[in-house]
Amino acid sequence: MTDTIATAPAVATAPRALQKWDDRVLVLGIETSCDETSAAVVKGGREILSNVVASQTELHREYGGIVPEIAARAHIEALTPVIAEALVLADVTFWDLDAVAATVGPGLVGSLLIGIAEGKSIAAALGLPFIGVNHLEGHIYSNLLVDPAARWPALCLIVSGGHTLIVDVSGHARYEILGRTLDDAAGEAFDKVARFLGLDYPGGPEIDRLSLLGDPEAVRFPRAMLNQDGLDVSYSGLKTAVINYVRGREKAGAQISVPDVAASFQQAVVDVQVAKTMTAAERTGASRVCMCGGVAANSGLRRGMEAACKERGLELTVPPLELCTDNAAMIAACGTEMLRAGELSGLDAAPDPNLPLAR
Amino acid sequence: MLVLGIETSTPQASVALGSDQGVIASALVARGATYNEFLLPAITFCLNCSGSDWRNLTGVAVGLGPGLYTGMRVGVSTAKALAQALAVPIVGIASLDLLAYEVRYSPKTICAVLDARRSEVFHAFYRTSPGGIQRMTEYRVEKPGQLAVGIGSRLEEVLMVGNGALLYRDEFEELGSVAEVGTMSHAFPDARSLVELAVPRLIREEFDSLFELQPLYLRRSAKRIQWDRIRQARSAS
Ligand SMILES: [Zn+2]
Repeated sequence: MTDTIATAPAVATAPRALQKWDDRVLVLGIETSCDETSAAVVKGGREILSNVVASQTELHREYGGIVPEIAARAHIEALTPVIAEALVLADVTFWDLDAVAATVGPGLVGSLLIGIAEGKSIAAALGLPFIGVNHLEGHIYSNLLVDPAARWPALCLIVSGGHTLIVDVSGHARYEILGRTLDDAAGEAFDKVARFLGLDYPGGPEIDRLSLLGDPEAVRFPRAMLNQDGLDVSYSGLKTAVINYVRGREKAGAQISVPDVAASFQQAVVDVQVAKTMTAAERTGASRVCMCGGVAANSGLRRGMEAACKERGLELTVPPLELCTDNAAMIAACGTEMLRAGELSGLDAAPDPNLPLAR
Repeated sequence: MLVLGIETSTPQASVALGSDQGVIASALVARGATYNEFLLPAITFCLNCSGSDWRNLTGVAVGLGPGLYTGMRVGVSTAKALAQALAVPIVGIASLDLLAYEVRYSPKTICAVLDARRSEVFHAFYRTSPGGIQRMTEYRVEKPGQLAVGIGSRLEEVLMVGNGALLYRDEFEELGSVAEVGTMSHAFPDARSLVELAVPRLIREEFDSLFELQPLYLRRSAKRIQWDRIRQARSAS
């Protein structure tokens, strides 16, 4: 990696005098955009020294979904100890840090503002640069934390409870969105179908687990948009098809195999998502595919994407589970790159719940 | 000694710096403040004006609310992170206490009232004590009408301060001379009072736990209330 000398623009956060942001640069990352409270210390943008995640899943379980007010209250409780733990595990102190990065959007506004307030405060108190990071850009950067040889350009599939995007990443901050969902995000479809089937929250992992016991060919659910030219996807029709199928069978007094329904539903999502990603790879001539976001942890999607990439001779990077789901290491990694590019934020930075990926 | 006070639990946001010698710098914005955009630049401004530096801070005080959720969260998170990064003690004080403290020279019983939205108010009663105030009731959230009944039954003159008293002034003034409603200048809790109240606590080393300090919500989340009702109804049937 080449060293870049970054001079800071005139912002309220005054960085230390002209400094080399080399491979030893230590960045504290903070992520509070949804229902995970996370802090991490990353060295040189690549090496994770610590990545602490306090999940709120248990708090939201009884509601069958994320309650924004409960999430915000939990972040305030958790963030200070999580930051303390991240520093201890990384064996560094506040004064060893070179910069602080926090997610500024997209996400839940009440949750985002806690991470931003704490990140900015730490930066101000220590006289360090503050970097406001786009959560989606963070997901893209999780790929660089996995594979030391990983580099751009690459085709990136971001699949989570809130997002489904196929992005052509040609370099840092150079993103072109090629395809997105027209309605539900992939993870949202998993959660809704799981809730309908009466499965535990969170529904995505439950469907994945049940799918292993079921027959993915048992029910032929529709693959919306598969025969369309574009790279967009749609999952709302698939969800309705599952509901109609189950209701129809119940009405007819017929038995339903929940594992078969789960496996067939999952297969439909996998088929569409893999096909669209492969079409995008063909069109852009990409040789690498990166998959990130919570749904990237889905075993069916991983298998499907691995097979398709192998067939076409494409390299595939999928981060391990703890880097697929929301975490602060990816925010620190992305923040490090932004620091090198001089993309700093001021002490007046505020949350942007609808922050788009493309800048 | 240099104590930073942060009070952002109402539409008025303020910060102040001070010590046992009194307040030395303060910044305040009365309406339309975006807490996230105001707070750290305002603190930096106060530090610069008073010729001090972040590293001179020896304690952080924060108004805990009850009040507006966004404001309380930004204030408490900011205070916690500053105390954590600078390794200095933190003290949290209820924002209603700050309102009462400002009118501590009144001989009457003091009722601090803040607008809680949804046609409710947050309130607590205080009496003056040597060198300050003493709270006599729990922090409560109630309909203004309920509070008016409570004041009517106290058989003593009450001075009501805070934007909640002003907002529902008609209901309270129906009580006649028993209830006096304070002026706009005492409508919001102020970081200067916060610093004054926090300094003795810091000197006595009555610190709060950094990890445990939280805003004073007084209400459970709306979803939880709704959920509890559904479950109650279910278990009753
Ligand atoms: Zn995410």
